[in-house]
Amino acid sequence: MRLLVFAGAWAAVWACGLSAESAIDPCTQHRHYGRLDEAERCFAKLTFSQDPYVRAEGFWGIGQFQDANSQFRAAIAIEPKNADYRVRWGRLFYERWNKPEAEKLFREALEITKDHAGALLGLALIASEGFEAKAVELAEQALKADPKLPEAQELLARLAVEDVNFDKARQEAEKALLLSAEALDAMAVLASLDVLADKPATPWFERIDKINPRFAEAYAYTGHVLILNRRYEEAIGYFQKAIERNPRYLDAHSELGITYMRLASEKKAREHLELAYENGYRDPATVNSLRLMDSYKNFQTFLTPKAEVRLHKKEADLLRVYFQPELERAIAAYEKKYKMTLKSPVKLEVYPDHEDFAVRTMGMPGLGALGVTFGYVVAMDSPSGRKPGTFHWASTLWHELSHVFVLAATNHRVPRWFTEGLAVHEETAASADWGDRLDPTILQAVKEKKLLPVVQLDRGFIRPKYPAQIIVSYFQAGRICDYISQKWGFQKLLDMMHAFAGNTPAAEVIEKQLGMKAEAFDKEFLESLHKQLATPLEKFDEWSKRIRSVAAAAKEKRHDDVIREGSQIRDWFAEYVEAGNVYEFLADAYLAKQDKKSALAELERYAKIGGRYPPTLKKLAAIEEEMGRPKEAIATLEKLNYIFPVADPEMHRKLGELCLSHGDVHMAIREFEASLASRPLDLAASHYDLAQAYMKARRVEEARDQVLSALEAAPGYRPAQKLLLELSSKKKEDH
Amino acid sequence: MAPPAALGGGVRLALLLLLAVLSAPAATFYVTVAGLGGEPEYEQRFAGLAKDIDKLLKASSGSTRVETLYGPAATKAKLSEVLGSLANQATPQDSLVLMLIGHGSYDGFDYKLNLPGPDVSSIELASMLDRIPGMQLVVSMTSCSGGAVLALKKEGRAVITATKSGTEKNATVFARYWAEALRDAATDTDKNEVISALEAYRYASEKTARFYDTQKRIATEHAQLEDTGKGDPVRDPSAENGQGLLAARFALLRLGAAQAAAAAPEKRKLLEKKETLEQQIAHLKYQRAAMPTDEYKKQLAALLLELAQTQAEIDK
Repeated sequence: MRLLVFAGAWAAVWACGLSAESAIDPCTQHRHYGRLDEAERCFAKLTFSQDPYVRAEGFWGIGQFQDANSQFRAAIAIEPKNADYRVRWGRLFYERWNKPEAEKLFREALEITKDHAGALLGLALIASEGFEAKAVELAEQALKADPKLPEAQELLARLAVEDVNFDKARQEAEKALLLSAEALDAMAVLASLDVLADKPATPWFERIDKINPRFAEAYAYTGHVLILNRRYEEAIGYFQKAIERNPRYLDAHSELGITYMRLASEKKAREHLELAYENGYRDPATVNSLRLMDSYKNFQTFLTPKAEVRLHKKEADLLRVYFQPELERAIAAYEKKYKMTLKSPVKLEVYPDHEDFAVRTMGMPGLGALGVTFGYVVAMDSPSGRKPGTFHWASTLWHELSHVFVLAATNHRVPRWFTEGLAVHEETAASADWGDRLDPTILQAVKEKKLLPVVQLDRGFIRPKYPAQIIVSYFQAGRICDYISQKWGFQKLLDMMHAFAGNTPAAEVIEKQLGMKAEAFDKEFLESLHKQLATPLEKFDEWSKRIRSVAAAAKEKRHDDVIREGSQIRDWFAEYVEAGNVYEFLADAYLAKQDKKSALAELERYAKIGGRYPPTLKKLAAIEEEMGRPKEAIATLEKLNYIFPVADPEMHRKLGELCLSHGDVHMAIREFEASLASRPLDLAASHYDLAQAYMKARRVEEARDQVLSALEAAPGYRPAQKLLLELSSKKKEDH
Repeated sequence: MAPPAALGGGVRLALLLLLAVLSAPAATFYVTVAGLGGEPEYEQRFAGLAKDIDKLLKASSGSTRVETLYGPAATKAKLSEVLGSLANQATPQDSLVLMLIGHGSYDGFDYKLNLPGPDVSSIELASMLDRIPGMQLVVSMTSCSGGAVLALKKEGRAVITATKSGTEKNATVFARYWAEALRDAATDTDKNEVISALEAYRYASEKTARFYDTQKRIATEHAQLEDTGKGDPVRDPSAENGQGLLAARFALLRLGAAQAAAAAPEKRKLLEKKETLEQQIAHLKYQRAAMPTDEYKKQLAALLLELAQTQAEIDK
């Protein structure tokens, strides 16, 4: 965001000596009142000043940033102990997206002048961009150092908006207006609060226009706030208004371009992003978004009745087989469950390179780690973009699709905790072993009573106060929705969803729909949660110690000790399925003692509770097959398809063979096709497998094509030769 | 069937080499060395891989020409003794496979395999190998092994290294997949029941690359092959870059019953026909890019059918 140029220049006035002030002030005044051409001429004159600092401000004012940089360097060389110059120089770096240099200069200024308000404000601005909790603290420190610094007050207002603390935001903005009746950024905050609340009209834009009819920043800020609240379509209108006010305001072009990209309007996105880029606006978000769009030529798009799926060409043949039907299945399930139909197709983008996906979440709060939804557009990591076993793509897909429905049903007016909670709830509703498992950090947070009251829960997603708070907030939101569904039925969640559509605050929705105050709900929910987690909460410390002794016994191959100790503690923290889990220790110990039946039981528990490590699941499938349970082996490997279907032609081949021998020809064909699409080393064998499956499905021509492909790879491959002869004689007979 | 278009001399030679029956040499000697691990974990891993390979080789051929050195026995003196003895035994018709597992080092000039006691350098190794007649395959699967190519490369010797240079210093995983390649029938991609050095190289290098890819780790090793004795090593040997021809001929391991060295006289004509068909198929595959797909498929199907029929006649 670039909302602070004017206020920043004011800070300069405050910061510098009279002569500099008298030179710069008329220029900042022109800018403040929207006389942009006059402002530019005025700043241009400053570049001829004798004072390098004034020249720096002049060059900055006319957008010659490199020259401004040089002049700041010259000014500091003359006055190395001038903290104000360093702060202004830092602000230049901040404006040009070089946060490390900016931070360095702010810190240097603080070394010269302890509690320098401008330096503290600079650090607060940097922290605010990363949604860091210390942003509020730093802004408050800046205000303490200079209680008449409107910019710090305005920042506090904006931080409160991000924290969904709208009352506080209004109060902070009003305080800024008391400091300066023409604090335009404060007015922009108040305008955006009115827009967020769906007020039919707001007086603030009019007031802003009267002071500065070219103040695009206010409209761009409102657009930005709408984006943070997932109201993307509405945001577009405000970015457009910003551009109308000041077509040279490149921030708005960039944000508009990114918003269009998020909504899959690529042509419009490129138009605005290129305009920003060509005019020197090259922040990471603009550059990376353009790069991402350039890479779209490497993707293929597939259409289904209700969706468009965009997959990278290198894995499209493989992933399409799994993603398309799963997407259709999820849409059908949600349409039934949420009693609504989507108005347009869902657009799903799957990125094998996590960095590409990360571009989609730039500037957004929260983890954004696995998937993100923009209205009808869902972007997510491909399973190939993650380490095997760390990502359940189907679970993520169902999670994101739930957002599509909730956003559509509420017209994007829904608290973050509710839509995230419902999405988490849907993951395990789709399949009990999907979704995230309870992990030690969550358990610790519950134990230390760190869960937030429901009406404040959104803040846990945005500006975490402790490292795990975002994950804990997802967990809490999910369990809240589980609790509501269990106690009042799933319909109650739908009722709440529709109630949120009226932009009703969470406290009111809870009271009306659940018949109790939010505080009472919190109390009931926490009691229920503590009951559910009673065993792990009570036993966690002891479990932590004893799992280490199980690990030590496993390392020393003391199998009896592993079995005795492991069996005792296994159910104390049953959801722990990550590395070093008790199930695998037990299974290995049983296998070492030739007790396959017990090993199988442990591995089945592991899989059922949500264990996802591919080698362990493959081990389970192998034992199941060995023990004459092919159906279970098929189910286990099919589970793996939802976790890591990539780079494993052998797994697909094994599953294909099992399906073929078990009479499921269609699934066998799918798996052999997947094996081929995974670029197996043994290409001939894979073609041959597929040929056999086609034969069983009586798809003779396709079988012949495959057998010829097998022989093309290995002309002397005897089984394929025999099958070719068989097919040829069959063809003759048919004729 | 349209005759195949004329091929350039280089390609023709390449094809002939590729098509040459993986002839059973008079004898194949296998020497595997697992060097110093430094830490118990590596010590165990290296020795385990050497033992695995030893077991596979012995089970495959029942050969007694397998020599495996690991643990305290894997010294430079012992290696020199083993290779010295082979220099006296081997004939120009024989083959030697030397497989090195462990940690290597590179000082910017010469590569060294870390062994108990004095290390052995690539120059010293080359000198020992130069005294042994016959075709050779050296597979150096250690860290820094790319630094050994310059000293080791020689006409009639295929050199495979786990790393692309002497500066890739991290412990490698290539050896794990090389051992797996010898165990996995899928390595034999052309289904002729012989795992060639080239097939094993492709298997192990592909699996190694996949390991780093799926583990989301920056690849710290890039396997390469040089078998002309005069070129630069390459990661993807092909007829285009002229590498891989010797490795394709080099029978590393026989899987099924070895093909009869000589067919019965009554089948000789059929064998000749089979060889001609195989050549025609190979020629056709090289022509693929230059002909319409339908025509290619039609000709290929006819040739493959004829080959299958011929093979069936031979098998009767």
